[in-house]
Amino acid sequence: MTDKNNKRAAISYEDLVPGYEFPPVSYELDASTVSGYLKAVDSPGEIEVLGGFVPPLAIAAYAMAAMGGLLSLPPGAIHASQEFEFFKLVPIGTVIHCQTKVARKLARAKMHMLVLELNIFDQNKKEVQSGKATIILPA
Amino acid sequence: MSSLDGEIVPAEIHEGMTLPSVAKHITQEGINLYAEASGDFNPIHIDESFAAQTPLGGTIAHGMLILAYLSEMMTLAFGKSWLANGRLAARFKAPARPGDTVTVTGNINSIEDKDGISHIRCSLECRNQKDETIVVGDAMVNVSS
Repeated sequence: MTDKNNKRAAISYEDLVPGYEFPPVSYELDASTVSGYLKAVDSPGEIEVLGGFVPPLAIAAYAMAAMGGLLSLPPGAIHASQEFEFFKLVPIGTVIHCQTKVARKLARAKMHMLVLELNIFDQNKKEVQSGKATIILPA
Repeated sequence: MSSLDGEIVPAEIHEGMTLPSVAKHITQEGINLYAEASGDFNPIHIDESFAAQTPLGGTIAHGMLILAYLSEMMTLAFGKSWLANGRLAARFKAPARPGDTVTVTGNINSIEDKDGISHIRCSLECRNQKDETIVVGDAMVNVSS
């Protein structure tokens, strides 16, 4: 993944409020990134079917990874649920722009929960994917 | 019933149809590789001594890695239709751990044909070798009839 200058100070979980919008992040899904992703997910059979397009979960994974640099979560945070909607084919080499906001933040006695909404666009400002991630954090 | 490249032939799609399953063996090396590729270095995935002290008792695979297997099954079944207009909602029920073999299965629950497009709804599941449910999900994809 070619990072497009996403180096910014991370905000801590405690400072997040519903509606908070993270600074947008950008990255390029070049051929070596996609190849590395497919190797990591042990999915050689997908390559032929993909035919020069990026697997949608790679787009999401890199969006969330880029987001991870902007959000300081305590160790042990885990993924509880995930939703995605894909809107178009994304060719290898596309530059992705991701916008993320805090949809919900819940605190209970033994558990904290964070719901993030992601909207992902290509370099032509066409939305390629949206998503919602629910993360559970140790209290 | 599949075409030569693995995709389901649209004319053969029917309610109740089982999708070709995907099975994967989870290893710590594979988890580490995914951490490197995705940039997700949460210690719950890669730091065995840290993970051992958490309620999970050991490292677990990234949730997004398991979802990649669900997406792989949908890609192999529906090809570019899945890439272009798929929808997935998934809930993690239990962690996948190094040493597990997980199998993703799916069924076509309903098909609505409208204006030359088949709107296909599937239920997906990922289970480990002990038949424990790791992920349950619903997927939708639109395919030209």
